[in-house]
Amino acid sequence: MKPLIASALFGILMMFAALTVKERRSFSVFALVLLALLTGINIWELAETRQALSSNNMGGVYFFKNMVKVDAFNLWFNTLMSALTLLYVGLMHRNIERVGLHVGEYYALIFFILSGIYLMSTFNNLLILFLGIELMSIPQYILAGSDKRNLKSSEASLKYFLMGAFSTGILLMGMALLYAALRTFNIEQFNFSMLGSNTILAVAGIILMIISFGFKVSAAPMHFWTPDVYDGAPTPFTAFMATIVKVAIFFGFLSIFKNAFYTLQGTWALVLGIITALTLIIGNLTAVFQQSVKRMLAYSSIAQAGFMLFAIIASNAMASKGILVYAVAYSVATLGLFAVLAKMKDYTYDGFNGLAKTHPYLAAAAAVFLLSLAGIPATAGFMAKYYMIAALIEDGYFIWLVILGLLMAAVSVYYYFKVIMAMYFREGTPELAHPVTVADKILLGICVALVFALGILPDMLLSCI
Amino acid sequence: MTQLVYLVPLLPLIGFLINGLLWKSMPRKTAGILASGVMLLAFALSVGIFFEVKNNPGYGTVVTLFDFIQSGALSLPFAFQVDELSSLFLLIITGIGFLIHLYSTAYMHDDPGYVKYFAYLNFFVFSMLLLVLGANYAIMFIGWEGVGLASYLLIGFWFKNKDYTNASKKAFIMNRIGDLGFLVGMFLVIYHFGTLAYSDLFMQFADGVPANVSQGVINAICICFFIGAMGKSAQIPLYTWLPDAMAGPTPVSALIHAATMVTAGIYMIARSNIMYNLAPLAQNMIAIIGIATVLLAASIAIKQNDIKKVLAYSTVSQLGYMFLALGVGAYVGAIFHVMTHAFFKALLFLGSGSVIHAMGGEQDMKFMGGLGRKMKITQFTFLIGCLAIAGVPMFSGFFSKDEILAAAYMKSPVLYALGIAGAMMTAFYMFRAYFLTFTGAFRGTHEQEHHLHESPAAMTIPLIVLAVLAVVGGYVGLPAVITENHLLGRYLSPVVTNNLASGHLSHSTEWVLMGISVAAVALMIFLAYSTTKKGTFKEPSGLGKVLANKWYVDEIYNALIVKPLKHISLLLDRYVERCGIDGIVNGVGRLVQWSGGKIRLLQNGQVGVYIFGMVLGIILLLIVGLLFL
Repeated sequence: MKPLIASALFGILMMFAALTVKERRSFSVFALVLLALLTGINIWELAETRQALSSNNMGGVYFFKNMVKVDAFNLWFNTLMSALTLLYVGLMHRNIERVGLHVGEYYALIFFILSGIYLMSTFNNLLILFLGIELMSIPQYILAGSDKRNLKSSEASLKYFLMGAFSTGILLMGMALLYAALRTFNIEQFNFSMLGSNTILAVAGIILMIISFGFKVSAAPMHFWTPDVYDGAPTPFTAFMATIVKVAIFFGFLSIFKNAFYTLQGTWALVLGIITALTLIIGNLTAVFQQSVKRMLAYSSIAQAGFMLFAIIASNAMASKGILVYAVAYSVATLGLFAVLAKMKDYTYDGFNGLAKTHPYLAAAAAVFLLSLAGIPATAGFMAKYYMIAALIEDGYFIWLVILGLLMAAVSVYYYFKVIMAMYFREGTPELAHPVTVADKILLGICVALVFALGILPDMLLSCI
Repeated sequence: MTQLVYLVPLLPLIGFLINGLLWKSMPRKTAGILASGVMLLAFALSVGIFFEVKNNPGYGTVVTLFDFIQSGALSLPFAFQVDELSSLFLLIITGIGFLIHLYSTAYMHDDPGYVKYFAYLNFFVFSMLLLVLGANYAIMFIGWEGVGLASYLLIGFWFKNKDYTNASKKAFIMNRIGDLGFLVGMFLVIYHFGTLAYSDLFMQFADGVPANVSQGVINAICICFFIGAMGKSAQIPLYTWLPDAMAGPTPVSALIHAATMVTAGIYMIARSNIMYNLAPLAQNMIAIIGIATVLLAASIAIKQNDIKKVLAYSTVSQLGYMFLALGVGAYVGAIFHVMTHAFFKALLFLGSGSVIHAMGGEQDMKFMGGLGRKMKITQFTFLIGCLAIAGVPMFSGFFSKDEILAAAYMKSPVLYALGIAGAMMTAFYMFRAYFLTFTGAFRGTHEQEHHLHESPAAMTIPLIVLAVLAVVGGYVGLPAVITENHLLGRYLSPVVTNNLASGHLSHSTEWVLMGISVAAVALMIFLAYSTTKKGTFKEPSGLGKVLANKWYVDEIYNALIVKPLKHISLLLDRYVERCGIDGIVNGVGRLVQWSGGKIRLLQNGQVGVYIFGMVLGIILLLIVGLLFL
């Protein structure tokens, strides 16, 4: 529980710092130090928990009256998320500093979101799940509107908040129905076998939860907010929302579907299958038509969510491994791409014309990230998709979805490669909004190395569990 | 020491990465030193490993680096096999590889692609090391493909010349045909035996053919592997790429012909000797194709005037001997010949490079002659190479070739007789080349004559080292008539043992066989001297013309395979591709664009519409979910 407490404390610390410190750069340095510290605390906690688990031979260590359960798997996920956030701030801190005046508050909100992620990944009780989701969502509403002078940003914030509130209502409704059927919030005590006529309550509750969850991860037909919000929000925060936050929600939902709802898989898998199919189709087809790379990435995040939904449908051991690989692979590639995007003045495809000539390093890194997102072998994205498909095939009931997924992956190549084409085969003089520093190059290099390392040795990530 | 084996391929890989990534900014001198330096280090390590293995017979061990592929029941670790066979090959590859790198620093001195060249060269060696070190066929295959790629890059190194790029394409395609055989063989192995690891696989052959598979399966696997070997090691019918591969810089030819690439097929079959012992059909096939290649290539070499072409065909023909040895079960003899051949063929190629260097790029022997007066070291070392390859007693080639011929005799005297015929042709064409190049009067232009000079030390030192090796290399495998202690055979015995047709030749027979071959060789050297004495070239006619035109094999392939294939693909392109597939693909593309355009309209920016869409979706999903309850 140390990381949870630490991240909440760090958030408060940042807010107090905002009262006294005026220099923007010092906030970033401070945040980077705290994030590194937080990652360290996570590793410490992981090591300690491992030791405790190996001695007491139980499935996990419980906190807060069994409301939170930690084990090596979810702590490892938390560690990865903290490390990714560190990478994210390293890549984006210049952009974060430029969003507005309240730099300290932005970082504080990021720490609060991290607390939400920790709750989300370790909950053992639906109330904690709800708490985690809200702790993650409310700072995001603020971050989306943080560029106050920009009308689009305010619009994004308001839209996100309105629709988010709507989906929260649905989530609570689903939980209430589940409680009505099961008389408990503790997911380890869920027992669907003796429900009798109450089963319908439970199933309706699960479906409502699926819908609310679908909203959070922007699955169709609950995806409408995504393009507007991602496009309107300041680019560095879009990057955060589209990657770390999103995969954390997937992780949380996978654990509830896998550990609690799996016995009823026959009832909800079809609903989820339809959602997945719609998400894949709408995400990919709409992305084809976009003119702005930022908006394309919004749709791409919908399309990628379609693939991650495979894991929830399958809810097996392969899916757990897969979501971990996918989370890191997708986050690293998308963060890297957003970091490149944030350097550009013009976010349209034409803005990237000729980038390979003027900034070969930037273009090469972006090309690697795009290849990974498209799922080209030897990159992390390929292994991630492989795990998802393998999980679904192991489950055995949704082969048509696998085929659809592969077809849509082919479509995705079109819009990802359009950027590569612009960078390498078109003439133009792209303008950068910010200069590329050595630190940027090193961090992008780390991202590229991660993409290849995971693409060749995905087990590296899994062997740490 | 053996635990450090991963460093051996890693070093050239590092060299490749540094030179390859920084080729624009790398100073030329540093690039050459780096590339040669990593090779020297790798060689030093190989020596250490070799002696460690040698001092602990049967010590063979598998060094696992990491899990490469885990899929169902199939597990492919990324592992290296360190044993007598692979450590011997390590020595050959890194040792000769180093000499060739050193030589290249001088030979390629003025080439604009200098850094790139060394990057490729390092990559070539890296792939070859992977090939021989892999502890399963999959790792071997990675190296196998890497070697193919590297050879493609290096043969077409001077890619501005269209003929050269064609030669590199030819090499690549011919190799790919063979690779397909290798791949099919691997799949058969996985299917029938469930593993690709040498140790697991060969364990299943410990008591002959396993009960659950038939003899036919093993024959099929062995033949498939052999098809792979045909491509890499240039045997009939896939040999035509090797003579064309001369397009690359001469040191590359030396590398391809001596230390790497072409020995891959021999290595693969020697490695699988336990399996091949159970496949008599495949073995017979190998022996027959081997001897046929010996004769075909040697006969072509007789009439070639390009010095590198002569050497190229001689490689094909010598490889034929190695396959003959494999086919008759003389695995040790084949490896022995790989080793001696590596010495003298590298020597000959580098020597020819020295000649070409001096002649300012001229390769045609018509315009050479008398070069020995200006290039004493090159002449002398080249002569040693000729003596070795021709099989003159006391030189290395004599011992290895003799061992193969004796083994062939045990199988069938016919094979022996054909082998002797090949040896005679070898002696003839090699000495013809020697006399035409180094003796007589100079036939080139005055300008060339003025330019003639001995090559720099970086080129002559490798020549001298190789010449020494070409002389003494044979003494590790003295024939049974002299001593029963066959050093190489004893060294290899834990991994490779001969499986000959009959146990032993009587000493008297062996003496007679040796006598015959020595006499035949001596006769042919004399013949070569007398035919080249005048130094005139007349237009070949009759059989000579057929030979000069390489039996028209390229033309026959063109007419029988390339042209019909081209016609078929043109037809497919015109009708199936343009009308059928293109139509479908473009149709799908248009459908995607059209539907994308429509779906996009849903996104109109109104929160009310969004929420309405969501509610509609929720209701439908609830209905679906509860209906299917």
